Amino acid sequence: MLWNTVFPYLLSGVSVGGQYALIAIGYTMVYGILRLINFAHGDVFMVAGILMVYAVASGLSLWITVPMVLIVTSLIGFLIERTAYKPLRSAPRMSVMISAIGVSYTLQNLVLYITGGLNKTYPTIPWISDTVEILGAKTKLVTVVTPFLTIILVVLLVLLINRTKVGMAMRAVSKDFETSQLMGIRINSVISVTFVIGSFLAAVGSVLYFTNYPTVIQTSGAMPGLKAFVAAVFGGIGSIPGAVIGAFIIGIMENIIKGLDVILFKAGLISKPLGLATFSDAFTFALLIIILLVKPTGLFGEKATDKV
Amino acid sequence: MSENRTVLSVENLTMQFGGVVAVNDLSMHIDEGEIVALIGPNGAGKTTAFNCVTGVYEPTNGQVLFCGKPIARNHPAGKIRKAYAGKDPEKYLADPVRLSPDAITSLGIARTFQNIRLFSGMTVFENVLTAMHLRRKSNFLVQTLRLNGAEDRAMREKTVKLLETVGLLDVADEMATSLPYGKQRLLEIARALATEPKLLLLDEPAAGMNPQETEDLSRFIVDIKNRFGLTVFVIEHHMQLVMAISDRIYVIDFGKQIAEGTPQEIQNDPVVIEAYLGGGEDDEEVTIG
Amino acid sequence: MTKKLTRRPSRATLLSFAIIFAVYVLVFVAEQLLPATSMLFTVLKKGATYALVAVSMNLLNGFTGIFSLGQAGFMLIGAYVYAMFTIPVADRASVYQYFDGGVIQFALPWFLAMILAGLVAALFAWLIGLPVLRLKSDYLAIATLGFAEIIRAVFQWKELGPVTNGSNMLRLFPNFNSFNITAADGHVVVYLSTIVPFLIAGVCIGLIVLLLHSGYGRAFRAIHDDEIAAEAMGVNLAHHKRMAFCISSFFAGVGGAMLAMYQTTVQAKSFTTAMTYEILLIVVIGGVGSITGSVCGSFLFVACSEWWLRFLDNEQFIGNFQVPLLRNGFRLVVFSIIIMIVVLFFRRGLFGTTELPDLFRHGRKESALK
Repeated sequence: MLWNTVFPYLLSGVSVGGQYALIAIGYTMVYGILRLINFAHGDVFMVAGILMVYAVASGLSLWITVPMVLIVTSLIGFLIERTAYKPLRSAPRMSVMISAIGVSYTLQNLVLYITGGLNKTYPTIPWISDTVEILGAKTKLVTVVTPFLTIILVVLLVLLINRTKVGMAMRAVSKDFETSQLMGIRINSVISVTFVIGSFLAAVGSVLYFTNYPTVIQTSGAMPGLKAFVAAVFGGIGSIPGAVIGAFIIGIMENIIKGLDVILFKAGLISKPLGLATFSDAFTFALLIIILLVKPTGLFGEKATDKV
Repeated sequence: MSENRTVLSVENLTMQFGGVVAVNDLSMHIDEGEIVALIGPNGAGKTTAFNCVTGVYEPTNGQVLFCGKPIARNHPAGKIRKAYAGKDPEKYLADPVRLSPDAITSLGIARTFQNIRLFSGMTVFENVLTAMHLRRKSNFLVQTLRLNGAEDRAMREKTVKLLETVGLLDVADEMATSLPYGKQRLLEIARALATEPKLLLLDEPAAGMNPQETEDLSRFIVDIKNRFGLTVFVIEHHMQLVMAISDRIYVIDFGKQIAEGTPQEIQNDPVVIEAYLGGGEDDEEVTIG
Repeated sequence: MTKKLTRRPSRATLLSFAIIFAVYVLVFVAEQLLPATSMLFTVLKKGATYALVAVSMNLLNGFTGIFSLGQAGFMLIGAYVYAMFTIPVADRASVYQYFDGGVIQFALPWFLAMILAGLVAALFAWLIGLPVLRLKSDYLAIATLGFAEIIRAVFQWKELGPVTNGSNMLRLFPNFNSFNITAADGHVVVYLSTIVPFLIAGVCIGLIVLLLHSGYGRAFRAIHDDEIAAEAMGVNLAHHKRMAFCISSFFAGVGGAMLAMYQTTVQAKSFTTAMTYEILLIVVIGGVGSITGSVCGSFLFVACSEWWLRFLDNEQFIGNFQVPLLRNGFRLVVFSIIIMIVVLFFRRGLFGTTELPDLFRHGRKESALK
């Protein structure tokens, strides 16, 4: 009967994994093109959550608010890139990374100001908030929907990258920034498109994520953001399938660890709880460090060559 | 040198990047007190050979000995095993050696760089002083608490002397990168000398210099060689310089050695002329030397 | 050229010393005269603490070129080690109330505990550095950030409760106010609660400056400028990077101990990544590669966030007109925007790479680090 104990954790792991995946894609695409860890990406995800809270509070129908939140978040991503990263195009990488940290700080403080630093309750979105029972485990429908929606979006994204002109430009830019510029690719538009796509997916992720964890505060984006980034590194930064697989692995592992005390107890391996759930976040980072040491380019990353 | 003690010996050195063989089965030796030049057309693998000697690259096959002690020894293994295109893959199976660049420097090999690599945040004086770091005996606590007065003073004196030797004492307090190109090259040499080398590796020291400067440099190299009791290994394109100072010359093309000999022998070697002219069909005058 | 042969301080250096000394005297005098509750002292105490941590981060990120984001983790270790070893034995039962008074049943003098805090942080840095320092730039940053998070989780683990008090607060250890000299009736005779943190931070920063100007410091800077050239000049990269990492962490640990004293309580959950970011922003505002910048940046940062911009958080009226936007949190918004402006348009920060003595030298930056 161990399965009955493990299954709910596995289920929420898959769900969280899908949500991380949607955030991780933004990290991995931006890193692929700009070689920048966009530390503000997790906060864009949080801002999407806050936008939803206020949009629904204004009394608009969900048919309007959800698309609106997706569009506004994409726009925010676009604006962040234009104001905070574009002016630093020729600056050292560290400056851009610091700018990203600055943007993260700014977004958090802005939300703190608007919300007064209070936990905001995320609106209930019908249908996906419904409770369903799968193989004896009760869960919200969003848990089931997430992995499928994630896969569909990823497939669409991969098609976009492999089949369209802008996708081809993105691949070119991520291979060689300077040369593709010389070949007449409009770098700035490609980068903007990347940020728009990344922010859009983060917004979708936020709708799913906050349906499961229904409070939003200015720091809500930090942890999911970091974990999604770890997922991107784990899968091999720059690789979209890698980020998705990494995210699912991390989501599942993290939730298993959350329930590890219960699982081990039920399995008769421990006699009293050890408080291992404390390590559910730490585990992600341990995994990151191990993968960096064993295979620095991640599961699916390409080997970068340094010229001496 | 009457005894002809070998300072550097390179045996069957092969360096392969994926399918590209940059250095192919190169063997050479440099005796104490010699000035030996390595020449070859662009992309012949000269700098790669340098990088293998100084520990920047791990050679795919072969070994490098410094004063009889192995500093690099390897045989093709792992992924490169299948793609290996050189000779003798089995010859150096026994214990591979890989010393890091700093360990090689502390044994007594110093180098300069083709594309100047000075410490940009430091003054001329500090650049030279930094290179003496590896000869310090005191640990960081002693140094932080300034208990190493005598040692520090000796190093500063030596730095002044070295800068005097290369004629940069008057710009000692300038930022290194603010110097004109020719002086930066001299500073690189001074910095290399500060590590107290037995063997000095110069990677295109005359690049970007005008004929007058090149001539001065030739004299300078011979001068420091005698003054510091050095052995010099130089890569150069300026044939004027190479012919003026070298005792022996190795010529490589496509990573392979195609000739070896004294400057006179090399100047008259048809294989070398062919390599430099790439066919030699036209009757344009060849000016090697 | 004789001046190059010895390290005799120049006129500019002496002048700088005089200024620093004057600041110390001023702080001491102000503390005796002004009310102890003045916001000024909060800023000075926290500023001194952050100055040390910022300088230690600059040593790594600015001078050695190792982009580490683990600062909060090492501060946490320092704060915990300090707190765990200085809580008076009599108070342990109440602090470690869920863990039967904890396993440590002795208390060290604050001074020893502070050094121990640094040493333990350095030890952790050494262990972490073995694998992590092989990584390059942003991977190193994210790995160190990860380690800080792992450390935070480990210290909150309830199985370690008898040592760390789990996720509960550590308190009742000697803090900055303990330095005040009081008469028998509890009346403060001499105020030392601000000058002592100034002295601790001053000594530590002084040591870092001396280190940076020594052979090892030059080796660190050589690594920052050009790793390949540094290696070719005989600088052992692994050894020197690890050394810089450990030394930086040592001082971060001491800074953590100071933060514990400032806050009077310690709890692992407050040492977040956001704290590291804050310190990084201080370094950037002051100027990456300038000790003077990090110090001034810290005081400016703390003063703005705790004091000078406070008025932005309160509703203000000019006559009957209520100034718009002013309410709780606006200060931080303004502050973030200022930071973004610095990051985007004044990338050199306040000081760039100049130091205090350079300000008294005429013309170009002349052999600044000597």
